[in-house]
Amino acid sequence: MLERIKDYLFKTWLIMSALIVVLVVVFLFGYIFINGIGSIDKEFLLSEPKGIPIGIEGGIFPAIIGSLLLMLIACVFSSILAISTAIYVVFYCKSERIKSFIHLIIQCMSGVPSIVLGLFGYALLVLYLGFGRSLLSGGITLGIFIFPFIQIRVEKTLKEVDKSIITSSYALGVSEVYTLFKIILPICRADIISAITLAGGFAMGAASPIILTAAVMFAPVPESLFSPVMALPFHLYILTGEGISLEKAYGTALVLMLLLLVINIISIILNIKRKESR
Amino acid sequence: MLNIGEKLFKWIIKLLTFLSILLLAFIVIFIFNESFVFFKEVPIWKFIMGRSWNPLGPAENLSIFPIILGTIYVSIVGICISLPLGVGIAVILSTYTKDRVKSFIRGIIDVLAGIPSVVYGFIGLLVVVKFFEVRFSFAAGESVLAGGIVLSVMVLPFIVSTCAESMDKIYEEYSQASQALGVSKSYMIRNIILPASKRSIIASLVLALGRGMGETMATMMVIGNAPIMPKLFGKTQTIPSLIALEMGMAEVGSLHYHGLFAAGFVLMIMLLLVNVLIYFIKAKMDI
Repeated sequence: MLERIKDYLFKTWLIMSALIVVLVVVFLFGYIFINGIGSIDKEFLLSEPKGIPIGIEGGIFPAIIGSLLLMLIACVFSSILAISTAIYVVFYCKSERIKSFIHLIIQCMSGVPSIVLGLFGYALLVLYLGFGRSLLSGGITLGIFIFPFIQIRVEKTLKEVDKSIITSSYALGVSEVYTLFKIILPICRADIISAITLAGGFAMGAASPIILTAAVMFAPVPESLFSPVMALPFHLYILTGEGISLEKAYGTALVLMLLLLVINIISIILNIKRKESR
Repeated sequence: MLNIGEKLFKWIIKLLTFLSILLLAFIVIFIFNESFVFFKEVPIWKFIMGRSWNPLGPAENLSIFPIILGTIYVSIVGICISLPLGVGIAVILSTYTKDRVKSFIRGIIDVLAGIPSVVYGFIGLLVVVKFFEVRFSFAAGESVLAGGIVLSVMVLPFIVSTCAESMDKIYEEYSQASQALGVSKSYMIRNIILPASKRSIIASLVLALGRGMGETMATMMVIGNAPIMPKLFGKTQTIPSLIALEMGMAEVGSLHYHGLFAAGFVLMIMLLLVNVLIYFIKAKMDI
């Protein structure tokens, strides 16, 4: 009898937890979508914010472009470092000790809170190197933010490559670099790009690294790497935090979520392609 | 000729790896360097244990004990809500579901992980905080509990993925044997799988703690940001939100500026410790 009660309680717990999570997700998307869809039109997407206080009228075009540019710089900066580190760990590093040391460092980096990264970017890039609040400072800070994510994913893919392909290539006298570029990287290409796009999504949604290093309340579409930018997450924070316009805030949140959705779909398609090609 | 290219490539890879490893040292050194000025004025234990935060007063008035407590409190409330849900989902994922449903639930969890923290904060402010204000007629709905509720949704994906990973393995190991003995599935999960995955549940808990403590935007928007001793239904302040809110106002080079770096330094050290802990728990799990 006791066993039956336990069994019943256990199953209720499982079903409840699944139900709650599904409801929360549906609610999150439904809430943003229903409230945001009304404020999105051509003008909102394609014009600059206007009015006093700024943002109460007009659109979010500079913020969309700013976010995309920040994401681009972050991805370029961080994928160069992350892919090299992954290649080093998988192909060149012979000592187990160094490998586990690098893993420990990367675990720690993934744990550094994003606001501390923002502080670091502010102290080093904005003030010390004199980049100012700019696209470049924000992009690099975001790059550091997503570095551990890309590195872990890329390393995993590189490790999954069939070892026999590599050894047979070496046995044929093909050089290491040639093997890497002509055999290994083409196999992993879809995976690596999918990791980078996913990380780009994280970078685009992150507000705390750029709050001190890049984002401002209003700026036109940036002309150079050293001009300050608007970004969607920061714009959303300002609109709600300062209580400027709730309607525009819903719209901004919806645009941000839709952009992230597109990025995620790209990454998923790449994943499916990879599975088909194997 | 070809050999030179090979060597060059190897050196570039080594150099870039070295640079990425150095990044962490750079971060630690830079934050420490900026907060060192402050620690010369105020000893570190006084900074941690003192109870007032008043940037306008003398140096002794800058201390962050209530804020540290607030940071930990909000995360723990979040984890308390999230852990039962997360472990439940992990059990469902690794034992009760097959391909289609499994990838559907996984997709939902991935979606949760992908929502930006500022959107969580936004919804938290408009729904959770407002709910408290309207339903329970609080003067202000911004509270530790609101922060915990928002955080619980944010850390859920980490808990689920960490737990499900090891539960998968344990289930595969024991499922045939226990089926052959005619033991019911739910009995097996309760008496074999859950006890055996204790370690991964603890790992996920620590991971979630780290995530929660470092979270800025979502908590900042719903906790009210008052540097007082935290109570479940009262306003509070976390270190990340303190930095994000006040850094813009602090004059560069002033004591306030260095004090904020010092707060960042304390937060970073706490989180580095948490992550070293995670690393060792994970390393033990693999063996």
